[in-house]
Amino acid sequence: MYELINIFIRAIFIENVIFAFFLGMCSFLAVSKKIKTAFGLGLAVIFVMVLTTPLNYLILNYMLGEGALAWIHPSLASVDLTFLAFILFISTIAGAVQLVEMSVEKFVPALYASLGIFLPLITVNCSILGTSLFMQERQYTFAETAVFSLGAGVGFFLAIVLLAAIRERLRYSNVPQPLQGLGIAMIITALMGLAFLSFSGIKL
Amino acid sequence: MKPIRTLVDTAKPHFHKGGRFEKLHPAFDALETFLFVPGHTTHNGVHIRDAMDLKRAMFTVIVALTPTLLFGMWNVGYQHYQAYGMQVSFVDNFLFGAQRVLPIVIVSYAVGLGVEFIFAILRGHQVSEGYLVTGMLIPLILPVTIPLWMVGLAAIFCTVLGKEIFGGTGMNFMNPALLARAFLFFAFPAYMTGDVWVDLTPEPGHALVDAYSGATSLVAFDTNWTDMPSAWRQFWGFEAGSIGETSTFACLLGALLLIGTGVGSWKIIVACCLGALGMGLLMNVLAPADIANHAMHTPAYYHLLMGGFAFGAVYMATDPVSAAHTERGKWIYGILIGVFTVVLRVFNPAYPEGVMLAILLMNVFAPLIDHVVVEQHIKTRSKRA
Repeated sequence: MYELINIFIRAIFIENVIFAFFLGMCSFLAVSKKIKTAFGLGLAVIFVMVLTTPLNYLILNYMLGEGALAWIHPSLASVDLTFLAFILFISTIAGAVQLVEMSVEKFVPALYASLGIFLPLITVNCSILGTSLFMQERQYTFAETAVFSLGAGVGFFLAIVLLAAIRERLRYSNVPQPLQGLGIAMIITALMGLAFLSFSGIKL
Repeated sequence: MKPIRTLVDTAKPHFHKGGRFEKLHPAFDALETFLFVPGHTTHNGVHIRDAMDLKRAMFTVIVALTPTLLFGMWNVGYQHYQAYGMQVSFVDNFLFGAQRVLPIVIVSYAVGLGVEFIFAILRGHQVSEGYLVTGMLIPLILPVTIPLWMVGLAAIFCTVLGKEIFGGTGMNFMNPALLARAFLFFAFPAYMTGDVWVDLTPEPGHALVDAYSGATSLVAFDTNWTDMPSAWRQFWGFEAGSIGETSTFACLLGALLLIGTGVGSWKIIVACCLGALGMGLLMNVLAPADIANHAMHTPAYYHLLMGGFAFGAVYMATDPVSAAHTERGKWIYGILIGVFTVVLRVFNPAYPEGVMLAILLMNVFAPLIDHVVVEQHIKTRSKRA
Protein backbone atom coordinates (compact mmCIF):
# COMPACT_ATOMS: atom_id res chain seq x y z
CA MET A 1 0.00 0.00 0.00
CA TYR A 2 2.76 2.39 1.02
CA GLU A 3 4.60 1.56 -2.20
CA LEU A 4 1.51 2.41 -4.29
CA ILE A 5 1.05 5.83 -2.65
CA ASN A 6 4.74 6.41 -3.19
CA ILE A 7 4.44 5.69 -6.94
CA PHE A 8 1.38 7.91 -7.23
CA ILE A 9 3.01 10.93 -5.54
CA ARG A 10 6.25 10.42 -7.47
CA ALA A 11 4.41 10.34 -10.79
CA ILE A 12 2.58 13.59 -10.06
CA PHE A 13 5.29 15.75 -8.51
CA ILE A 14 8.77 14.26 -8.54
CA GLU A 15 8.73 12.58 -11.95
CA ASN A 16 6.14 14.79 -13.61
CA VAL A 17 5.93 13.80 -17.30
CA ILE A 18 6.15 17.43 -18.35
CA PHE A 19 8.63 19.00 -15.95
CA ALA A 20 10.93 16.05 -15.36
CA PHE A 21 10.82 14.27 -18.74
CA PHE A 22 9.53 16.92 -21.16
CA LEU A 23 7.11 14.46 -22.71
CA GLY A 24 3.94 15.61 -24.43
CA MET A 25 5.17 19.15 -24.94
CA CYS A 26 3.28 19.74 -28.20
CA SER A 27 -0.23 19.63 -26.82
CA PHE A 28 1.00 21.05 -23.50
CA LEU A 29 2.19 24.21 -25.24
CA ALA A 30 -0.55 24.42 -27.86
CA VAL A 31 -3.70 23.85 -25.81
CA SER A 32 -2.79 25.91 -22.75
CA LYS A 33 -4.13 29.32 -23.77
CA LYS A 34 -7.38 28.94 -21.84
CA ILE A 35 -8.02 27.12 -18.58
CA LYS A 36 -11.26 25.61 -19.85
CA THR A 37 -9.75 23.84 -22.85
CA ALA A 38 -6.65 22.88 -20.88
CA PHE A 39 -8.93 21.36 -18.26
CA GLY A 40 -10.74 19.35 -20.95
CA LEU A 41 -7.57 18.12 -22.60
CA GLY A 42 -6.07 17.25 -19.22
CA LEU A 43 -9.10 15.12 -18.36
CA ALA A 44 -8.94 13.43 -21.76
CA VAL A 45 -5.27 12.60 -21.21
CA ILE A 46 -5.98 11.19 -17.74
CA PHE A 47 -8.71 9.03 -19.21
CA VAL A 48 -6.61 7.72 -22.09
CA MET A 49 -3.65 7.04 -19.80
CA VAL A 50 -5.68 5.17 -17.22
CA LEU A 51 -7.33 3.14 -19.96
CA THR A 52 -4.31 2.33 -22.12
CA THR A 53 -1.44 1.76 -19.71
CA PRO A 54 -3.06 -1.16 -17.82
CA LEU A 55 -4.31 -2.50 -21.16
CA ASN A 56 -0.78 -2.33 -22.52
CA TYR A 57 0.39 -4.07 -19.38
CA LEU A 58 -1.90 -6.98 -20.14
CA ILE A 59 -0.80 -7.06 -23.77
CA LEU A 60 2.85 -6.99 -22.75
CA ASN A 61 2.54 -9.68 -20.12
CA TYR A 62 0.17 -12.07 -21.85
CA MET A 63 1.14 -11.64 -25.52
CA LEU A 64 4.46 -9.99 -26.16
CA GLY A 65 6.95 -10.64 -23.40
CA GLU A 66 9.33 -13.56 -23.45
CA GLY A 67 7.34 -16.68 -22.62
CA ALA A 68 4.15 -14.68 -22.26
CA LEU A 69 2.30 -16.89 -24.71
CA ALA A 70 2.88 -20.01 -22.65
CA TRP A 71 -0.69 -19.84 -21.42
CA ILE A 72 -1.87 -20.85 -24.94
CA HIS A 73 0.45 -23.77 -25.43
CA PRO A 74 3.65 -24.79 -23.63
CA SER A 75 5.51 -24.94 -26.94
CA LEU A 76 5.10 -21.18 -27.31
CA ALA A 77 7.09 -20.52 -24.14
CA SER A 78 10.25 -19.64 -26.11
CA VAL A 79 8.54 -16.96 -28.28
CA ASP A 80 9.54 -13.36 -27.60
CA LEU A 81 7.47 -10.74 -29.40
CA THR A 82 8.69 -7.73 -27.42
CA PHE A 83 9.79 -6.03 -30.66
CA LEU A 84 6.08 -5.51 -31.40
CA ALA A 85 5.58 -3.48 -28.24
CA PHE A 86 5.75 -0.07 -29.90
CA ILE A 87 3.26 -0.76 -32.64
CA LEU A 88 0.79 -2.52 -30.37
CA PHE A 89 1.04 0.14 -27.66
CA ILE A 90 0.33 2.85 -30.20
CA SER A 91 -2.62 0.92 -31.62
CA THR A 92 -4.17 0.56 -28.16
CA ILE A 93 -3.70 4.28 -27.59
CA ALA A 94 -5.20 5.12 -30.98
CA GLY A 95 -8.21 2.98 -30.20
CA ALA A 96 -8.73 4.60 -26.81
CA VAL A 97 -8.40 8.07 -28.30
CA GLN A 98 -11.00 7.19 -30.91
CA LEU A 99 -13.33 6.29 -28.06
CA VAL A 100 -12.67 9.56 -26.25
CA GLU A 101 -13.10 11.55 -29.44
CA MET A 102 -16.49 10.07 -30.21
CA SER A 103 -17.80 10.56 -26.69
CA VAL A 104 -16.50 14.13 -26.43
CA GLU A 105 -18.06 15.00 -29.79
CA LYS A 106 -21.36 13.52 -28.66
CA PHE A 107 -21.58 14.89 -25.13
CA VAL A 108 -19.45 18.09 -25.05
CA PRO A 109 -19.49 19.49 -28.60
CA ALA A 110 -18.16 22.87 -27.42
CA LEU A 111 -15.04 21.28 -26.00
CA TYR A 112 -14.71 19.17 -29.14
CA ALA A 113 -14.66 22.31 -31.25
CA SER A 114 -12.15 24.13 -29.07
CA LEU A 115 -9.75 21.18 -28.81
CA GLY A 116 -9.78 20.76 -32.58
CA ILE A 117 -6.94 18.72 -33.99
CA PHE A 118 -5.34 18.23 -30.58
CA LEU A 119 -7.92 15.70 -29.47
CA PRO A 120 -7.03 13.08 -32.14
CA LEU A 121 -3.42 14.08 -31.69
CA ILE A 122 -3.46 12.62 -28.17
CA THR A 123 -2.72 9.42 -30.07
CA VAL A 124 0.79 10.61 -30.71
CA ASN A 125 1.11 12.45 -27.39
CA CYS A 126 4.47 11.19 -26.25
CA SER A 127 3.52 11.41 -22.58
CA ILE A 128 1.00 8.60 -23.08
CA LEU A 129 3.29 6.30 -25.02
CA GLY A 130 6.02 7.32 -22.56
CA THR A 131 3.92 6.19 -19.62
CA SER A 132 3.41 2.79 -21.25
CA LEU A 133 7.12 2.47 -21.95
CA PHE A 134 8.05 3.47 -18.39
CA MET A 135 5.67 0.78 -17.23
CA GLN A 136 7.58 -1.74 -19.36
CA GLU A 137 11.01 -0.48 -18.37
CA ARG A 138 10.35 -0.32 -14.63
CA GLN A 139 8.59 -3.70 -14.58
CA TYR A 140 5.63 -2.59 -12.51
CA THR A 141 3.00 -5.03 -11.33
CA PHE A 142 -0.58 -4.57 -12.51
CA ALA A 143 -1.67 -2.59 -9.45
CA GLU A 144 1.44 -0.41 -9.68
CA THR A 145 0.78 0.17 -13.38
CA ALA A 146 -2.77 1.31 -12.68
CA VAL A 147 -1.68 3.72 -9.95
CA PHE A 148 1.28 4.96 -11.98
CA SER A 149 -0.87 5.71 -15.03
CA LEU A 150 -3.33 7.67 -12.90
CA GLY A 151 -0.45 9.59 -11.31
CA ALA A 152 1.16 10.38 -14.64
CA GLY A 153 -2.21 11.53 -16.01
CA VAL A 154 -2.87 13.77 -13.00
CA GLY A 155 0.68 15.13 -13.36
CA PHE A 156 0.02 16.12 -16.97
CA PHE A 157 -3.37 17.55 -16.04
CA LEU A 158 -1.88 19.62 -13.23
CA ALA A 159 0.94 20.90 -15.44
CA ILE A 160 -1.29 21.99 -18.32
CA VAL A 161 -3.89 23.65 -16.07
CA LEU A 162 -1.14 25.51 -14.17
CA LEU A 163 0.39 26.74 -17.42
CA ALA A 164 -3.02 27.81 -18.72
CA ALA A 165 -3.72 29.75 -15.51
CA ILE A 166 -0.37 31.53 -15.75
CA ARG A 167 -0.92 32.32 -19.42
CA GLU A 168 -4.36 33.72 -18.64
CA ARG A 169 -2.83 35.96 -16.00
CA LEU A 170 -0.09 37.07 -18.37
CA ARG A 171 -2.58 38.05 -21.07
CA TYR A 172 -2.09 41.73 -20.23
CA SER A 173 1.67 41.58 -19.92
CA ASN A 174 3.84 43.30 -22.47
CA VAL A 175 5.85 40.52 -24.04
CA PRO A 176 8.29 41.49 -26.82
CA GLN A 177 6.83 40.80 -30.25
CA PRO A 178 9.15 37.95 -31.32
CA LEU A 179 8.45 36.03 -28.11
CA GLN A 180 4.68 36.28 -28.07
CA GLY A 181 2.79 33.00 -28.05
CA LEU A 182 4.94 29.91 -28.14
CA GLY A 183 8.20 31.61 -27.23
CA ILE A 184 7.01 32.97 -23.92
CA ALA A 185 5.13 29.71 -23.22
CA MET A 186 8.43 27.83 -23.44
CA ILE A 187 10.14 30.29 -21.12
CA ILE A 188 7.27 29.98 -18.62
CA THR A 189 7.53 26.18 -18.84
CA ALA A 190 11.24 26.38 -18.07
CA LEU A 191 10.62 28.62 -15.05
CA MET A 192 7.88 26.26 -13.85
CA GLY A 193 10.31 23.38 -14.26
CA LEU A 194 12.75 25.26 -12.02
CA ALA A 195 10.08 25.45 -9.32
CA PHE A 196 9.21 21.77 -9.72
CA LEU A 197 12.89 20.91 -9.29
CA SER A 198 12.23 21.43 -5.60
CA PHE A 199 10.76 17.93 -5.50
CA SER A 200 13.71 16.19 -7.09
CA GLY A 201 15.61 14.29 -4.45
CA ILE A 202 12.67 13.73 -2.15
CA LYS A 203 12.91 10.28 -0.68
CA LEU A 204 9.56 8.76 0.09
CA MET B 1 15.76 71.05 -3.09
CA LYS B 2 15.56 74.21 -5.18
CA PRO B 3 18.91 73.87 -6.99
CA ILE B 4 18.17 70.23 -7.83
CA ARG B 5 14.76 71.20 -9.23
CA THR B 6 16.30 73.88 -11.44
CA LEU B 7 18.97 71.48 -12.61
CA VAL B 8 16.35 68.90 -13.55
CA ASP B 9 14.24 71.55 -15.27
CA THR B 10 17.11 72.85 -17.37
CA ALA B 11 18.07 69.35 -18.44
CA LYS B 12 14.51 68.33 -19.20
CA PRO B 13 14.07 69.74 -22.73
CA HIS B 14 17.00 67.73 -24.03
CA PHE B 15 15.27 64.50 -23.14
CA HIS B 16 11.88 65.29 -24.63
CA LYS B 17 10.72 64.59 -28.16
CA GLY B 18 13.13 66.24 -30.57
CA GLY B 19 15.74 66.82 -27.90
CA ARG B 20 19.33 65.70 -28.16
CA PHE B 21 18.95 62.72 -25.80
CA GLU B 22 15.42 61.76 -26.76
CA LYS B 23 16.38 58.07 -26.65
CA LEU B 24 17.43 58.35 -23.03
CA HIS B 25 14.09 59.75 -21.90
CA PRO B 26 13.12 56.67 -19.80
CA ALA B 27 16.36 56.96 -17.85
CA PHE B 28 15.83 60.66 -17.23
CA ASP B 29 12.22 60.13 -16.31
CA ALA B 30 13.19 57.48 -13.78
CA LEU B 31 15.62 59.85 -12.08
CA GLU B 32 13.19 62.73 -12.06
CA THR B 33 10.30 60.80 -10.56
CA PHE B 34 12.67 59.26 -8.08
CA LEU B 35 13.63 62.71 -6.81
CA PHE B 36 10.23 64.42 -7.05
CA VAL B 37 6.65 63.23 -6.92
CA PRO B 38 5.51 63.63 -10.53
CA GLY B 39 3.08 66.47 -11.17
CA HIS B 40 0.92 64.73 -13.72
CA THR B 41 -2.81 65.34 -13.63
CA THR B 42 -5.41 62.92 -14.88
CA HIS B 43 -7.31 63.90 -18.00
CA ASN B 44 -10.31 61.64 -17.81
CA GLY B 45 -11.82 58.83 -15.83
CA VAL B 46 -11.24 58.43 -12.14
CA HIS B 47 -9.61 61.39 -10.44
CA ILE B 48 -8.68 59.82 -7.14
CA ARG B 49 -4.97 60.31 -6.54
CA ASP B 50 -2.89 58.94 -3.74
CA ALA B 51 0.57 59.95 -2.61
CA MET B 52 1.26 56.25 -2.15
CA ASP B 53 2.42 55.46 -5.68
CA LEU B 54 4.54 52.52 -6.74
CA LYS B 55 7.79 54.30 -5.88
CA ARG B 56 6.68 55.10 -2.34
CA ALA B 57 5.41 51.52 -1.86
CA MET B 58 8.72 50.07 -3.00
CA PHE B 59 10.58 52.46 -0.78
CA THR B 60 8.56 51.30 2.22
CA VAL B 61 9.77 47.77 1.53
CA ILE B 62 13.37 49.00 1.37
CA VAL B 63 12.94 50.68 4.76
CA ALA B 64 11.39 47.47 6.09
CA LEU B 65 14.44 45.60 4.83
CA THR B 66 17.00 47.76 6.62
CA PRO B 67 16.81 45.94 10.00
CA THR B 68 17.70 42.67 8.30
CA LEU B 69 20.46 44.31 6.26
CA LEU B 70 22.05 46.00 9.30
CA PHE B 71 21.72 42.90 11.42
CA GLY B 72 23.12 40.81 8.57
CA MET B 73 26.20 43.02 8.33
CA TRP B 74 26.83 42.71 12.04
CA ASN B 75 26.23 38.96 11.99
CA VAL B 76 28.66 38.39 9.11
CA GLY B 77 31.39 39.99 11.22
CA TYR B 78 30.25 38.21 14.37
CA GLN B 79 30.33 34.78 12.71
CA HIS B 80 33.72 35.51 11.19
CA TYR B 81 35.40 36.50 14.46
CA GLN B 82 33.54 33.76 16.28
CA ALA B 83 35.10 31.15 13.98
CA TYR B 84 38.55 32.42 14.95
CA GLY B 85 37.67 32.64 18.60
CA MET B 86 38.27 36.40 18.72
CA GLN B 87 36.38 38.81 20.93
CA VAL B 88 36.00 42.11 19.12
CA SER B 89 33.81 45.15 19.64
CA PHE B 90 30.36 45.67 18.17
CA VAL B 91 31.72 48.25 15.74
CA ASP B 92 34.47 45.93 14.50
CA ASN B 93 31.96 43.18 13.83
CA PHE B 94 29.78 45.59 11.95
CA LEU B 95 32.62 47.10 9.92
CA PHE B 96 33.91 43.70 8.84
CA GLY B 97 30.41 42.69 7.73
CA ALA B 98 29.80 45.95 5.92
CA GLN B 99 33.03 45.46 3.99
CA ARG B 100 31.84 42.08 2.79
CA VAL B 101 28.16 42.84 2.23
CA LEU B 102 28.24 46.26 0.57
CA PRO B 103 30.09 45.07 -2.58
CA ILE B 104 27.41 42.41 -3.10
CA VAL B 105 24.66 45.01 -2.71
CA ILE B 106 26.42 47.40 -5.07
CA VAL B 107 26.98 44.76 -7.77
CA SER B 108 23.38 43.59 -7.50
CA TYR B 109 22.05 47.13 -7.92
CA ALA B 110 24.49 48.22 -10.61
CA VAL B 111 24.01 45.19 -12.82
CA GLY B 112 20.26 44.85 -12.33
CA LEU B 113 19.51 48.53 -12.80
CA GLY B 114 21.80 48.55 -15.83
CA VAL B 115 19.76 45.80 -17.45
CA GLU B 116 16.58 47.59 -16.45
CA PHE B 117 17.71 50.87 -18.07
CA ILE B 118 18.79 49.08 -21.25
CA PHE B 119 15.41 47.43 -21.57
CA ALA B 120 13.56 50.65 -20.78
CA ILE B 121 15.47 52.55 -23.45
CA LEU B 122 15.18 49.80 -26.08
CA ARG B 123 11.52 49.11 -25.48
CA GLY B 124 10.56 52.71 -24.72
CA HIS B 125 8.80 52.09 -21.42
CA GLN B 126 9.43 53.79 -18.10
CA VAL B 127 12.04 52.45 -15.74
CA SER B 128 10.06 50.82 -12.98
CA GLU B 129 10.93 50.86 -9.33
CA GLY B 130 10.50 47.15 -8.76
CA TYR B 131 14.19 46.52 -9.02
CA LEU B 132 14.93 48.71 -6.00
CA VAL B 133 13.43 45.97 -3.86
CA THR B 134 14.68 43.01 -5.91
CA GLY B 135 18.20 44.42 -5.91
CA MET B 136 18.15 44.59 -2.12
CA LEU B 137 16.57 41.16 -1.67
CA ILE B 138 19.15 39.33 -3.79
CA PRO B 139 22.17 40.05 -1.53
CA LEU B 140 20.18 39.30 1.60
CA ILE B 141 19.37 35.74 0.54
CA LEU B 142 22.89 34.80 -0.64
CA PRO B 143 25.79 33.42 1.38
CA VAL B 144 28.42 36.05 2.13
CA THR B 145 31.16 34.11 0.34
CA ILE B 146 29.41 34.23 -3.04
CA PRO B 147 31.72 35.46 -5.84
CA LEU B 148 30.66 38.86 -7.12
CA TRP B 149 30.40 37.77 -10.75
CA MET B 150 27.78 35.23 -9.74
CA VAL B 151 25.75 37.95 -8.09
CA GLY B 152 25.91 39.89 -11.35
CA LEU B 153 24.98 36.87 -13.41
CA ALA B 154 22.01 36.08 -11.19
CA ALA B 155 20.87 39.71 -11.33
CA ILE B 156 20.96 39.62 -15.14
CA PHE B 157 19.14 36.28 -15.25
CA CYS B 158 16.35 37.30 -12.94
CA THR B 159 15.85 40.74 -14.45
CA VAL B 160 15.76 39.52 -18.04
CA LEU B 161 14.03 36.14 -17.78
CA GLY B 162 12.10 36.77 -14.60
CA LYS B 163 10.73 40.19 -15.37
CA GLU B 164 11.67 42.20 -18.43
CA ILE B 165 10.67 39.48 -20.85
CA PHE B 166 7.14 39.72 -19.50
CA GLY B 167 7.11 43.51 -19.83
CA GLY B 168 8.61 44.68 -16.54
CA THR B 169 7.41 45.23 -13.00
CA GLY B 170 3.95 43.90 -12.27
CA MET B 171 3.76 41.66 -15.32
CA ASN B 172 5.86 38.74 -14.12
CA PHE B 173 4.53 35.67 -12.33
CA MET B 174 7.54 34.65 -10.27
CA ASN B 175 9.39 36.57 -7.61
CA PRO B 176 12.57 37.73 -9.42
CA ALA B 177 14.79 37.71 -6.33
CA LEU B 178 13.85 34.14 -5.51
CA LEU B 179 14.42 33.22 -9.13
CA ALA B 180 17.95 34.63 -8.84
CA ARG B 181 18.62 32.50 -5.80
CA ALA B 182 17.11 29.38 -7.34
CA PHE B 183 19.19 29.97 -10.46
CA LEU B 184 22.42 30.16 -8.47
CA PHE B 185 21.34 27.26 -6.30
CA PHE B 186 20.85 24.89 -9.23
CA ALA B 187 23.62 26.26 -11.44
CA PHE B 188 26.41 26.55 -8.86
CA PRO B 189 25.44 24.24 -6.01
CA ALA B 190 29.01 24.17 -4.67
CA TYR B 191 28.81 27.89 -3.93
CA MET B 192 25.36 27.77 -2.39
CA THR B 193 25.53 24.79 -0.04
CA GLY B 194 28.01 23.35 2.40
CA ASP B 195 30.73 25.36 4.02
CA VAL B 196 29.91 28.74 2.48
CA TRP B 197 27.96 30.56 5.15
CA VAL B 198 30.81 32.08 7.14
CA ASP B 199 33.50 34.33 5.74
CA LEU B 200 36.74 32.55 6.65
CA THR B 201 39.28 35.09 5.42
CA PRO B 202 42.38 34.17 7.44
CA GLU B 203 43.11 36.33 10.47
CA PRO B 204 46.88 36.63 10.95
CA GLY B 205 47.89 35.08 14.23
CA HIS B 206 44.65 33.23 14.79
CA ALA B 207 43.60 29.72 13.85
CA LEU B 208 40.09 28.36 13.46
CA VAL B 209 38.66 27.30 16.80
CA ASP B 210 38.35 23.56 17.33
CA ALA B 211 34.63 23.51 17.81
CA TYR B 212 34.04 25.47 14.63
CA SER B 213 31.46 24.04 12.25
CA GLY B 214 30.22 26.14 9.37
CA ALA B 215 26.93 24.30 9.12
CA THR B 216 23.68 26.22 9.31
CA SER B 217 21.00 25.16 11.72
CA LEU B 218 19.14 23.58 8.81
CA VAL B 219 21.94 21.15 8.08
CA ALA B 220 22.13 20.16 11.72
CA PHE B 221 18.38 19.76 11.65
CA ASP B 222 18.48 17.07 8.96
CA THR B 223 20.77 14.75 10.87
CA ASN B 224 19.78 15.46 14.45
CA TRP B 225 17.40 18.24 15.30
CA THR B 226 18.60 18.46 18.90
CA ASP B 227 21.97 19.71 17.56
CA MET B 228 20.37 22.96 16.46
CA PRO B 229 21.10 26.22 18.28
CA SER B 230 18.54 27.08 20.94
CA ALA B 231 15.26 28.66 19.90
CA TRP B 232 16.29 32.04 21.34
CA ARG B 233 19.55 32.04 19.44
CA GLN B 234 17.65 31.34 16.25
CA PHE B 235 15.08 33.99 17.06
CA TRP B 236 17.73 36.70 17.46
CA GLY B 237 19.72 35.23 14.58
CA PHE B 238 23.19 34.65 16.06
CA GLU B 239 23.84 31.78 13.69
CA ALA B 240 25.35 31.08 10.29
CA GLY B 241 23.16 31.49 7.22
CA SER B 242 22.40 33.77 4.29
CA ILE B 243 23.32 37.38 4.93
CA GLY B 244 19.97 38.82 5.89
CA GLU B 245 17.74 35.93 6.77
CA THR B 246 19.08 34.60 10.06
CA SER B 247 17.29 36.94 12.42
CA THR B 248 13.60 36.31 12.92
CA PHE B 249 13.52 39.39 15.15
CA ALA B 250 14.72 41.73 12.38
CA CYS B 251 12.13 40.26 10.03
CA LEU B 252 9.43 40.89 12.64
CA LEU B 253 10.41 44.57 12.75
CA GLY B 254 10.07 44.69 8.97
CA ALA B 255 6.77 42.84 9.13
CA LEU B 256 5.37 45.44 11.55
CA LEU B 257 6.18 48.23 9.10
CA LEU B 258 4.85 46.33 6.08
CA ILE B 259 1.60 45.43 7.82
CA GLY B 260 1.23 48.88 9.41
CA THR B 261 1.53 50.64 6.08
CA GLY B 262 -0.55 48.03 4.30
CA VAL B 263 2.19 47.35 1.76
CA GLY B 264 2.48 43.69 2.73
CA SER B 265 -0.56 41.49 3.20
CA TRP B 266 -0.93 40.35 6.82
CA LYS B 267 -3.11 37.50 5.64
CA ILE B 268 -0.24 35.91 3.73
CA ILE B 269 2.20 36.26 6.62
CA VAL B 270 -0.26 34.82 9.14
CA ALA B 271 -1.29 32.04 6.75
CA CYS B 272 2.36 31.05 6.16
CA CYS B 273 2.92 30.72 9.91
CA LEU B 274 -0.32 28.77 10.39
CA GLY B 275 0.56 26.40 7.55
CA ALA B 276 4.04 25.72 8.90
CA LEU B 277 2.80 25.29 12.47
CA GLY B 278 0.01 22.95 11.40
CA MET B 279 2.28 20.84 9.23
CA GLY B 280 4.95 20.83 11.95
CA LEU B 281 2.42 19.52 14.49
CA LEU B 282 1.21 16.88 12.04
CA MET B 283 4.82 15.77 11.56
CA ASN B 284 5.25 15.51 15.33
CA VAL B 285 2.23 13.23 15.52
CA LEU B 286 3.42 11.05 12.63
CA ALA B 287 7.08 10.97 13.66
CA PRO B 288 8.64 7.55 14.25
CA ALA B 289 8.73 7.06 18.00
CA ASP B 290 11.85 4.90 18.01
CA ILE B 291 14.17 7.52 16.46
CA ALA B 292 14.21 10.28 19.06
CA ASN B 293 16.20 12.84 17.05
CA HIS B 294 14.47 12.32 13.68
CA ALA B 295 13.75 15.60 11.88
CA MET B 296 10.02 14.95 12.17
CA HIS B 297 10.28 15.40 15.95
CA THR B 298 11.32 19.04 15.63
CA PRO B 299 8.94 21.20 17.68
CA ALA B 300 6.58 22.98 15.28
CA TYR B 301 7.54 26.51 16.39
CA TYR B 302 11.17 25.78 15.47
CA HIS B 303 10.11 25.83 11.83
CA LEU B 304 9.13 29.48 12.20
CA LEU B 305 12.53 30.40 13.64
CA MET B 306 14.79 28.20 11.54
CA GLY B 307 16.60 29.31 8.42
CA GLY B 308 14.93 31.87 6.22
CA PHE B 309 11.31 31.10 7.02
CA ALA B 310 10.54 34.50 8.56
CA PHE B 311 12.38 36.32 5.79
CA GLY B 312 10.53 34.38 3.11
CA ALA B 313 7.11 34.79 4.69
CA VAL B 314 7.53 38.52 5.34
CA TYR B 315 9.36 39.79 2.26
CA MET B 316 9.04 37.15 -0.44
CA ALA B 317 5.61 35.61 -0.07
CA THR B 318 3.95 39.02 0.25
CA ASP B 319 5.26 40.23 -3.12
CA PRO B 320 1.95 41.54 -4.47
CA VAL B 321 2.76 40.62 -8.08
CA SER B 322 3.58 36.96 -7.72
CA ALA B 323 1.25 36.16 -4.81
CA ALA B 324 -2.39 35.22 -5.15
CA HIS B 325 -4.48 38.33 -5.85
CA THR B 326 -7.82 37.34 -4.33
CA GLU B 327 -8.34 37.70 -0.59
CA ARG B 328 -9.40 34.11 -0.01
CA GLY B 329 -6.68 32.99 -2.39
CA LYS B 330 -4.08 34.66 -0.16
CA TRP B 331 -5.02 32.41 2.73
CA ILE B 332 -4.73 29.29 0.60
CA TYR B 333 -1.49 30.52 -0.94
CA GLY B 334 0.08 31.29 2.43
CA ILE B 335 -0.98 28.08 4.11
CA LEU B 336 0.37 26.02 1.21
CA ILE B 337 3.72 27.85 1.45
CA GLY B 338 3.96 26.92 5.12
CA VAL B 339 2.98 23.31 4.46
CA PHE B 340 5.39 22.82 1.55
CA THR B 341 8.21 24.49 3.46
CA VAL B 342 7.98 21.95 6.25
CA VAL B 343 7.49 19.05 3.83
CA LEU B 344 10.56 19.99 1.79
CA ARG B 345 12.68 20.62 4.86
CA VAL B 346 11.83 17.30 6.43
CA PHE B 347 11.66 15.01 3.41
CA ASN B 348 14.14 16.51 1.00
CA PRO B 349 17.66 16.23 2.41
CA ALA B 350 19.08 17.71 -0.80
CA TYR B 351 17.44 21.10 -0.18
CA PRO B 352 17.47 21.94 3.48
CA GLU B 353 16.08 25.40 2.83
CA GLY B 354 12.51 24.68 1.82
CA VAL B 355 11.16 28.22 1.99
CA MET B 356 12.63 29.45 -1.28
CA LEU B 357 11.37 26.50 -3.30
CA ALA B 358 8.00 26.44 -1.55
CA ILE B 359 7.38 30.08 -2.44
CA LEU B 360 8.55 29.59 -6.04
CA LEU B 361 6.24 26.61 -6.35
CA MET B 362 3.33 28.59 -4.97
CA ASN B 363 4.12 31.43 -7.40
CA VAL B 364 3.41 28.85 -10.08
CA PHE B 365 0.19 27.78 -8.35
CA ALA B 366 -1.07 31.29 -7.50
CA PRO B 367 -2.86 31.99 -10.82
CA LEU B 368 -4.70 28.67 -10.58
CA ILE B 369 -5.67 29.36 -6.95
CA ASP B 370 -7.07 32.73 -8.01
CA HIS B 371 -8.96 31.16 -10.87
CA VAL B 372 -10.56 28.55 -8.62
CA VAL B 373 -11.49 31.17 -6.00
CA VAL B 374 -13.10 33.43 -8.61
CA GLU B 375 -15.00 30.57 -10.24
CA GLN B 376 -16.23 29.42 -6.84
CA HIS B 377 -17.36 32.93 -6.03
CA ILE B 378 -19.27 33.21 -9.29
CA LYS B 379 -20.94 29.89 -8.59
CA THR B 380 -22.11 30.80 -5.07
CA ARG B 381 -23.33 34.22 -6.21
CA SER B 382 -25.30 32.85 -9.12
CA LYS B 383 -26.84 30.22 -6.83
CA ARG B 384 -27.97 32.95 -4.46
CA ALA B 385 -29.58 34.97 -7.23
